Amino acid sequence: MDWQALILSLQLAGVTLLVLLPLGLWLGRWLAYTSFAGKSLIEALVVLPLVLPPTVLGYYLLVSMGGASPLGRWAAETLDLRLSFNFLGLVVASVIFNVPFIVQPVQRAFEAIPRHLTEAAAVSGLGFWQTWRRVEMPLAWPGVLSAVVLTFVHTMGEFGVVLMVGGSIPGETKTIAISIYDRVQAFDLASADRMALLLLALSLGAVTMSFFASARLAARR
Amino acid sequence: MTLQVEVEQTQPLPLSGAFRCERGELLALVGPSGAGKTSMLRVLAGLMRPQRARVQIGDEIWCDSDRGIFVPPQQRHVGLVFQHYALMPHLSALDNVSLPLLHLPPAERRRQAARWLAHVRLSGAHQDRLPAALSGGEQQRVAVARALAREPRVLLLDEPFSAVDQMNRQGLYGLLAELRREMTIPIVLVTHDLHEAAMLADRLVVMDAGQVLQQGPPAAIHRAPRNARVADLVGIQNRFQGRWVGPSGQDGWGLLQWTAEDADAAALPLLKVRDKRRIDAGQDVHWVLTGDAISLLDRSPQSPDEFAAVVTEARPLGEITMLALELAALPGTVLRLTLSGPQRLGIEPGGTYTVRLDLGLVHVMPVRGR
Repeated sequence: MDWQALILSLQLAGVTLLVLLPLGLWLGRWLAYTSFAGKSLIEALVVLPLVLPPTVLGYYLLVSMGGASPLGRWAAETLDLRLSFNFLGLVVASVIFNVPFIVQPVQRAFEAIPRHLTEAAAVSGLGFWQTWRRVEMPLAWPGVLSAVVLTFVHTMGEFGVVLMVGGSIPGETKTIAISIYDRVQAFDLASADRMALLLLALSLGAVTMSFFASARLAARR
Repeated sequence: MTLQVEVEQTQPLPLSGAFRCERGELLALVGPSGAGKTSMLRVLAGLMRPQRARVQIGDEIWCDSDRGIFVPPQQRHVGLVFQHYALMPHLSALDNVSLPLLHLPPAERRRQAARWLAHVRLSGAHQDRLPAALSGGEQQRVAVARALAREPRVLLLDEPFSAVDQMNRQGLYGLLAELRREMTIPIVLVTHDLHEAAMLADRLVVMDAGQVLQQGPPAAIHRAPRNARVADLVGIQNRFQGRWVGPSGQDGWGLLQWTAEDADAAALPLLKVRDKRRIDAGQDVHWVLTGDAISLLDRSPQSPDEFAAVVTEARPLGEITMLALELAALPGTVLRLTLSGPQRLGIEPGGTYTVRLDLGLVHVMPVRGR
């Protein structure tokens, strides 16, 4: 068992969520409530990372964030940061490839809130944050929870993009998914076995938990 | 504290009209679905901002598009009972009613919410239930309590009785009557049910296709609808065609020829009715007569206001009977009236009777587009 890789994957998933959750809540809610010309294009861009082959996505991220790219050069010169083959680069890539996993469920969750409920809140005098806390979040949280779970599990298991952008530097960019591949290449099937089983259990457990939570909420209604 | 409303909008949907509602008065917006009744209510609540509008309550201006004033719903103190109540499904009855009371400390909030729920007669045992565990009538009481807890300056009710059954409806009419006695704010009710409107409201505002067509006390509108469309919308059944002949020679009275398609021109009756001097001689008109102005006699006609008619339909409904009679002189022209008491017994389709029309109550309207 490659504990270092497991801890790195957990860190990556945690940091990704920390960055992506506020962004996803804002974007998903906005897409749910507003309609405008060009909304379909934005929705398509949101889903794009889902349909693009991970190596293609990884390739473009590498090309656009690498040291030779304008963005990479700007980050190096003004912020003294490198965006490829390190943990920061992985976080940026991970945030981007997880956008559909968080935005879509959040959007669906907010779309499912009947409009007259938020209107009733407004007429009752509730301001933005009061409506958010007392009406929107209590109704949308199963969707938000499943977004969080999907994003977390997906980050733990992502392989193609991580390999392209991060390579396989132990302790820096070698996540558990890459470590499994590594072990298989080295014919260390016993190690690969344990790690694969752990990911399987983790994924199944997380998804089951989110389904269970939604079902309990549905039963309460 | 008078509510004054003026709306003028062409896009995205047409909406126009003006009305006022005094304190303690119940005003009903009536009309078919899609007439713009609910949109009017949304304008009052601040949920919709029309192209041009002026909404004023007392000396407080909620909306004045000409001066760029728009007070958001959060600051309007409107009590709105939504058509399907819009109760928060995750909150108990008590917590729903607590929503407009968030400015109070939690204990006081709960105390007041419980008081409002008791006021609409929702018992303590039901106050901790989620809306899904309440009946339609109880849900509505919660919605009313929530609207009242807002301490509204105007109470708005959007089809409040449409989703409850007849038995609960009677109880809720009673509740509304009680509220009216104790509240001194304008109440605006949206309904498509004309009987309900006529029974509950002091004044009606008749709407169609986004336009206010007529307003006034229910009886006045029934007696004198402005045009044929209003007559149809308020459910006046006895609407006929005619031609205005002109003065009758007697002051204040004119002559109306009762016409009908495919009728023999020589047989068309001439009626002497009140002349309001609004109509030119020779003009085609519609005219209406309320059911009160029609009586049924079991003998042959003896004067110019009596006509022979054959019963085509006799439908007993509980303690009344609804009758349709076809005039002998004007085949195809049907009069409708409702009978109660002993007179309705023994009336069968096919029987010939005489109808007497109280011509002093005939209301004549010019034929115009709509």
